[in-house]
Amino acid sequence: MAGEKTVDTTGLLGWIDKRFPLTSMVKEHMSEYYAPKNFNFWYFFGSLAMLVLVIQIVTGIFLVMNYKPDAKLAFESVEYIMREVPWGWLIRYMHSTGASMFFVVVYLHMLRGLFYGSYRKPRELVWIFGVAIFLSLMGEAFFGYLLPWGQMSYWGAQVIVNLFSAIPFIGPELAIWIRGDYVVSDATLNRFFAFHVIAIPLVLIGLVVAHIIALHEVGSNNPDGVEIKQGPKDRYGRPMDGIPFHPYYSVHDLVGVAGFLIVFAAIIFFGPEMGGYFLEYNNFIPADPLKTPPHIAPVWYFTPFYSMLRATTADFTWVLAGAAVLAAIVLFIKGNLKGVWRIAVPVILLLVAVLLRTIDAKFWGVVAMGGAVVILFFLPWLDHSPVKSIRYRPTWHKYLYAIFIVNFLVLGYLGTQAPNPTFNLMSQIGTVIYLAFFLVMPVWSRIGTFKQVPDRVTFHAH
Amino acid sequence: MSQITTQLDDSGAVDPNLPPDPSRRTWVASACAVGGVAGVATAVPFVASFAPSEKARAAGAPVEVEVASIAPGEMRTVEWRGKPVWIMHRTTAQLAGLKDNDPLLADPNSDRPGFTPEYAKNEYRSRKPELFVCVGICTHLGCSPTPAFATGPQPGLPADWEGGFFCPCHGSTFDLAGRVFSNKPAPDNLEVPPYTFSADGTHITIGVDENTKA
Amino acid sequence: MIKKLLGTIALSLTCAIAFAAEGGYKLEHAPNRINDMASLQNGAKLFVNYCLGCHSANSMRYNKLTEIGLTDDQIKKNLLFTSDKVGDLMHIAMTPEDAKKWFGAAPPDLSVIARAKSTTMGPSGVDYVYTFLRTFYRDTSKATGWNNLVFPSVGMPNALWQLQGERSLERTTIHSAAQADGSSQWERTVAKYDGQGYSEIKKEVLKDYDGSPVDKAILTPADPRLQATFDNNVADLSNFLGWMAEPMQLQRKEMGVWVLLFLALFLLVAWRLNATYWKHVK
Repeated sequence: MAGEKTVDTTGLLGWIDKRFPLTSMVKEHMSEYYAPKNFNFWYFFGSLAMLVLVIQIVTGIFLVMNYKPDAKLAFESVEYIMREVPWGWLIRYMHSTGASMFFVVVYLHMLRGLFYGSYRKPRELVWIFGVAIFLSLMGEAFFGYLLPWGQMSYWGAQVIVNLFSAIPFIGPELAIWIRGDYVVSDATLNRFFAFHVIAIPLVLIGLVVAHIIALHEVGSNNPDGVEIKQGPKDRYGRPMDGIPFHPYYSVHDLVGVAGFLIVFAAIIFFGPEMGGYFLEYNNFIPADPLKTPPHIAPVWYFTPFYSMLRATTADFTWVLAGAAVLAAIVLFIKGNLKGVWRIAVPVILLLVAVLLRTIDAKFWGVVAMGGAVVILFFLPWLDHSPVKSIRYRPTWHKYLYAIFIVNFLVLGYLGTQAPNPTFNLMSQIGTVIYLAFFLVMPVWSRIGTFKQVPDRVTFHAH
Repeated sequence: MSQITTQLDDSGAVDPNLPPDPSRRTWVASACAVGGVAGVATAVPFVASFAPSEKARAAGAPVEVEVASIAPGEMRTVEWRGKPVWIMHRTTAQLAGLKDNDPLLADPNSDRPGFTPEYAKNEYRSRKPELFVCVGICTHLGCSPTPAFATGPQPGLPADWEGGFFCPCHGSTFDLAGRVFSNKPAPDNLEVPPYTFSADGTHITIGVDENTKA
Repeated sequence: MIKKLLGTIALSLTCAIAFAAEGGYKLEHAPNRINDMASLQNGAKLFVNYCLGCHSANSMRYNKLTEIGLTDDQIKKNLLFTSDKVGDLMHIAMTPEDAKKWFGAAPPDLSVIARAKSTTMGPSGVDYVYTFLRTFYRDTSKATGWNNLVFPSVGMPNALWQLQGERSLERTTIHSAAQADGSSQWERTVAKYDGQGYSEIKKEVLKDYDGSPVDKAILTPADPRLQATFDNNVADLSNFLGWMAEPMQLQRKEMGVWVLLFLALFLLVAWRLNATYWKHVK
């Protein structure tokens, strides 16, 4: 027939292929998607993140079959799932462990990006979609955590929603609008349920698809930061340093999945509470709007950012203001900003310095915490290193990264502890280190003797 | 900046002219087998979670009813598993009239499977003749029939009506042993639930019999 | 006579528990009897007899006790206190509103109390309950006539007083206290509560004290043998609460062994599969 498409496949598959790009998509994204052959351990975490997303969605669907999103019934419905629904306990533990493991996997996945410069041109958009996924994930976890309606659920939600009340002028009204009530209540629970179960999962799925499409459009990075598409090609025009994703990385990722499932199962079957970090003990007390537990802390994966929020006291705003003024001066004298930006940026920084001392520290705490995440979006433009991968940077850069990682972990630890003067000071120093790592990166990433980046990836035959 | 050097003899990271590797087949097969087991093992808890929970099973627990005080001709209704269960103390006259209905019934001997337990496969469809126990749900599409104990002609009922039940939804009729009349929408006799008498005969427990414990 | 005295001293020494340096009584570790069905059954008996009067366990079904080795009949005959059906939940007749009115605070539901009272990376809720139930002492200054070392001024009277028997408390604290003239001095307070709760409190200022704050409590039972039986019963009850907070924990761990063994096999197969493909990559 005229106009009918010709395909290579026959039978049922051929029928589908004439109407839907099934085989061509499988080829484009799996069997003929050439990925660098030198992926290492750090490259497992992308596929693991996708696995955990699927686990959370499937276990989530089954939990929703028995959970009751009503302030009077929610807590008991969770215990109902744990005791009375056949295998309900397993589904619940998979979901709670999966939530924490999602963050473990995503943090390690992002760390890989940091190490190997996977966010650099032409992969900025892959990174941006990724940070958007991270932000959505934080929201998803936050909304989900209210659902068991325990003491931690309730008071954590109360505190975080109150953060919005710190915004000047519109804050308090905004907080009431978010809650649907004057305090966190049944209204809040119902809307957080809708966000957690439907709204954000849809957003997450969309962003993950965009993330992978953007990646496949430009091709994956690798531990050496060498662009395989710019290297030698074989007789078919395929990169010599590339290897088809399927079957090589499908079987490779299967090993990662097996290892991950061992850790996952060990936690679920032998320590689902993880000492109170994965399932917090205070959350086994039903929510009581009249009584705050003596020690609230957010779940472990939020604690580094929580530290930064708590660190931003009135005194600390002096430090931040001072830093803004210093930056203004340095940029004006030594910076190479073009045209109007030469004046505008220092002026803006001076204005920020003034505002830091005018608006309450409470607001700036929120800004610091939010800023710590938002700054990740700008990473592709902050990194001015001539080489992509940490492998070819000066050794002292590696120490800087190590300091950043240790600092992040310390901030995390501090976030779980009750405040005291020493810890507060440590959090403040930690916040400065975290922010400086990014904000000063345009300067420090250029300094030092860089090693020669090879033309071909370093690969040792198995 | 791209340097495309097409090398005619070299063929990339993997040589496409390699002979097929038999060990691949072994390991793919093993991986599929182990993966299949893993898949089934994972699916089982999820599928099983659909089954009635402890709460549903407790709500469906047996119901004990006191029957000694039901007067002849009187019928009592109790709830078991969300359904109405009728307990009727039939009079001798009503019991005598049961045989007369036999030629008019679709399944006079309760031969059709699924509605009559062994101990009710008799002319009275009950353990003891006077006490009739059945689930008060029409076997057509699930409405609950109305009692029609008065004998003789009445609107919607035949002239020689011996007493029984009339379903208002689609007109099915049942006699006082719950047996369905022929040529009616309902295909089966009213279900006799599992039940047992207490030792002294004053109570029955609906939901328990020789085959069903709880 | 000497034996009894030595026994009393020995037991009172074991009851002498120092408070943690900051924030709360140092909890004792409860003996682990989570796998001991007889212990759990005894705990269940104590629970329905002594606790279920005021505390509900709304997420716990009576027939769940079949998982610790009891039959439906045994449960019906011995343990069915607030209901007549073995499939019912352990509700109680007292509403939380009434409870608040009568006791000042509603006695909490105990379904998951053993998980709620655990501390992050610290003693478990079972340890908490074990220590809590064994540190009640008579105190005439309290409305209930009872006070507690783990939970000072608790609204709960000692429900287990009959099992515990008579006990006296001697509590020594050395702390820095503000004096009338505004300065602060080290002060030692020795509070003695006798078996009926009458207290005798002595304070003295320590002029040359050069140490850290001290808080020591010694509970002395009138009958050490009764005390030992009591401790054993409380251990059973605490473990029962630990079981009740998560009834499937026994099966969960059993299953986990098999799951991990299987996954180890899966890892092996995945690893070899990976190797067969990658050995040709150069």
